[in-house]
Amino acid sequence: MWVKLAFKLFSREFRRGELTIIFAAIALAVLTVFSLSAITERISLNIAHKSSDFIASDRRLSSNHAFEPQLLKQASQFGLATAQMLYFDSMLFANDELVLGSVKATTAAYPLRGKITIKDNLTSKAYEVETGPKAGSVWLSEGLFYTLKVNVGDKVELGAGKFNVTKVLVKEPDAPFFSLSGNKRVLLNYADIETTQAVQPGSRVFHRLLFAGNEQELSDYYAWLKPQLKSNQNWQGLKDRQSPLGNNLDRAERFLLLAGLFGIMLAAVAMAVSAKRYCERQYDPVAMMKTLGGSRKVIRNIFLLHLSLVTTFSIVAGLALGFVLQTIGADYLATFMGTELPQAGVRPWLLSAFIGLVCALMFSLKPLLDLFDIPPLRVLRRNLGDTLAISRIHIGLSMLTIFVLMWLFSGEIVTTLILFASTLVVIAVLFALSRLLFAAGRKLGLSPGSSWSLALATLQKRANANAIQLISFALAIKLMLFLVVLKNDIISDWQMQVPADAPNMFIINIAKEEVTPIKKFFKDNNIAHEDFYPVFSGRVDAVNGEEFARRVSKQEGEEKDENAREGVSREPNLTWLTSLPEGNEITEGEWFSDGGTGDDIEVSVFDGWQETLGLKIGDIITLLVNEQPIDAKVTSFRKVDWGSLKPNFVMILSPNMAGKVPVTYFSAAKLHDRDTKGISQLLQRYPTISMIDIKAQIEQAQSIIAQVSLAIGFVLSIVLVSGALVLVSQVQASLAERMQEVVILRTLGAKGRLIKLATLYEFMLLGGIAGLVAAIVSDVALLVIQQQLFDIAGRLHPYIWLLGPVSGALFVSSIGYFMVANTMRQNTQGLLRKLG
Amino acid sequence: MSVLSQLNVIQVSGLTQRVNTLEGSLTILSDINFSVKSGESVAIVGASGSGKSTLLSLLAGLDVASQGEVHLDGDALSTLDEEARAQLRAEKIGFVFQSFMLVQSLTALENVMLPAELAGDHDAKAQAVELLDKVGLSHRLGHYPSQLSGGEQQRVAIARAFIGSPKILFADEPSANLDSKNGHLIETLLFDLNKQNGTTLVLVTHDEQLAKKCQRIIHIEGGQLEKISEGGAANVG
Repeated sequence: MWVKLAFKLFSREFRRGELTIIFAAIALAVLTVFSLSAITERISLNIAHKSSDFIASDRRLSSNHAFEPQLLKQASQFGLATAQMLYFDSMLFANDELVLGSVKATTAAYPLRGKITIKDNLTSKAYEVETGPKAGSVWLSEGLFYTLKVNVGDKVELGAGKFNVTKVLVKEPDAPFFSLSGNKRVLLNYADIETTQAVQPGSRVFHRLLFAGNEQELSDYYAWLKPQLKSNQNWQGLKDRQSPLGNNLDRAERFLLLAGLFGIMLAAVAMAVSAKRYCERQYDPVAMMKTLGGSRKVIRNIFLLHLSLVTTFSIVAGLALGFVLQTIGADYLATFMGTELPQAGVRPWLLSAFIGLVCALMFSLKPLLDLFDIPPLRVLRRNLGDTLAISRIHIGLSMLTIFVLMWLFSGEIVTTLILFASTLVVIAVLFALSRLLFAAGRKLGLSPGSSWSLALATLQKRANANAIQLISFALAIKLMLFLVVLKNDIISDWQMQVPADAPNMFIINIAKEEVTPIKKFFKDNNIAHEDFYPVFSGRVDAVNGEEFARRVSKQEGEEKDENAREGVSREPNLTWLTSLPEGNEITEGEWFSDGGTGDDIEVSVFDGWQETLGLKIGDIITLLVNEQPIDAKVTSFRKVDWGSLKPNFVMILSPNMAGKVPVTYFSAAKLHDRDTKGISQLLQRYPTISMIDIKAQIEQAQSIIAQVSLAIGFVLSIVLVSGALVLVSQVQASLAERMQEVVILRTLGAKGRLIKLATLYEFMLLGGIAGLVAAIVSDVALLVIQQQLFDIAGRLHPYIWLLGPVSGALFVSSIGYFMVANTMRQNTQGLLRKLG
Repeated sequence: MSVLSQLNVIQVSGLTQRVNTLEGSLTILSDINFSVKSGESVAIVGASGSGKSTLLSLLAGLDVASQGEVHLDGDALSTLDEEARAQLRAEKIGFVFQSFMLVQSLTALENVMLPAELAGDHDAKAQAVELLDKVGLSHRLGHYPSQLSGGEQQRVAIARAFIGSPKILFADEPSANLDSKNGHLIETLLFDLNKQNGTTLVLVTHDEQLAKKCQRIIHIEGGQLEKISEGGAANVG
């Protein structure tokens, strides 16, 4: 019997709008989590696909030694696509010209991700292909055509083999951003390695295995591979720190994660408040039912059924709305980006439904238990049970739930703790502040009957309720401010990395005597360029007199003759500089103390090498430059931003190196299409110089940044909408509680203007205070989050200290004013009836 | 239990109610003793704060007395837990309140049916329609409380009070929130229905005129039973 009654009550309550707020709150939680996680997942998948282009695969394994065939065999069994690559240097010969080229031999499956850009001849248009040259042919980069004086169709000798030159190699997806050998690239079929006879025991070669597949297959394979990985084998993914966009992708993902967390927090606040409010509004009916003989069990069943129904409906509605929203969003993003976003899996569905369920259960539990405890005596003593309204258990349970949900969603305890702690600070500060302010309000001595006086009196009278109101306003404003500022900072940080006037061409191998004429050429043609850096190659031979190979091996715990990792064993590009280059940061030690002009040669080392080589300040590194040993004292370690698309140096020596070794010069320029002809002439006049076109890389980086920025903006707007909804529902809840006062004032003849203005001022004060506290706490939390999670230099944002209170006051007061004005349009009798 | 006490549908003995306040224990009712016979109408009168509403809450089992006992149709309330008291109310008691206390989301008809439905009665509708007809609201069955006037809402509450044919009807200032015309109408209705159903009526009021319509008047003053007098309807019952 109670079931029929429960359904009847439910349908009536639903129609009357009593359940709307609780329904909206759960649906909002589900919608926010669903749309955020679905969009995030789809964008992440797309970015991952796109970014995989940068390593031509999803993961790669690098080594100086050949791999066991078992590794490839096993990868296929795990369902992965694979390709093999071998890098080596070899002499090329044609037309009596001899030049050392960087050869990359690849199997037919290369590249697994991304495409190779080629041209049919030097003057034709570039286009993309999905595989490398066929056996017997090679593709050469443009610079080699000039140096070897060949054309497409000619033959070149590579090692012991002779090959047809069939295409001009413009770009491979995984070409390094900056390499001294960048302009002498040769793409060869893997089957032809033997023909060249260039790879002999002891040759300097780099092997790579490329893998592509879904995340599960990749991680399964890695689980199998990991125990047998040798220390000379390096497993890399696109998110590795040193991969060019790894940092940025990491930041983007963290932002999306944060946004999701905030969405959960906002929805949870809405849910906690609305569940409490709904239950409070049921106190009278429950007391009545108990008086009329309703047993506790029947009442419990009725309301638990209500909760189950409203939860089910709102989860379904939230999922449906979320699906529509994310579809519209993803379609918009896809159109804008000119790409199709991969579909999300089941995770967003399960996660959002689960979070909706947990929210409904945890936030309603205590208010419902309180509701069941309402004494029937309330029918005679109307305020009985009101003391149950503010329950520490409810607050504690809600906070615990929010914390656990955030943790579950993010899987990151540090982020969760920072956000949670800063939120607790907001709550504590606001609670104290509200007490102080509302207590002081009356002492201002405003004349009775004025709107301000009425506003302050209302604020003071409802100090507790206002404190809760303030906290929820401030939380919503804090989360919104936080994301807006963070988004701006992240995007401006990215834009700084790739500014619009960034050079798009590196010019290398410039002889000293060529510097002046090339500078003049740039000047005459109005081409913006950077300084000319001296560059030379050197090999690290020893550290403190100890041979390098032995030292590296010791670090790796390997046998002596096992060579080091690729990154360390490679001959690094070296330079000398008087000042620390832009984007570098000293992590230990000091920059050349006397300007690097003393007797000792000093060196500043990339901090990644500090760990690998076990270096410390004061160590002496012996560099072999043209077989000439040069001792340099380590005086500093630097953090290098490898994602900056600028030339970065592993080692920078002090300027007193000048004259000690032969160097070539390096510069970078921003070239336009109109400069093409002039550049061709320049290359013909100075055939030894090489140009590396990084336009494509910059464009690719910019496109990814634009895509991520857009995604962040979209996700932010979802959170902002959620935040605005929370504010609206809060004001609405607060106004409903104020209705009785409004009606009394109205009945007593108070003018609508007085009531409206009083509400306006009251909400203005509430919104303003909430906004100010939100701004201050956001800024402090931002300082921590930016440094800890985003690797952005933390700084304060004074503008939000104004933006917070002003936007808070405007937004909250305008909603309040609008709603009260709406109420004022009804006649007093109607209002009285509504109050029951 | 004596034959006399069996006739007494309400038996109050040594009823005392104390509450704890910041200033210490406060006695609201002190050693109240009286009985009400089946079918009798009794008014409890007294000034505001005299303790009459507290007495009503103890009589109806809405609250538990600090001391003393209330027997309701033979059941000692102090021996019953909250659930058993609710069960007792469902079976034997009807209520009419000063502030009507209708469930806002239910129609007039559904409000009347509510106690029967809570008690698991499947045939409540016909009885509810009949009762609403008796209170003159047969044309307002589907109206919600907010669509009814104060007098109409109280008539719905009276109809609700009589559903399930309770033995005892408790009414707390039933006409206090109404104008005199509507107030009289409600009072008449209440007494008429009470008479028709043979219900025991316990009415709390500060209105002497209304009290006089009952057979007996219990005067409460400062938490103590001051006197029990005969009402104007004494010779009727």
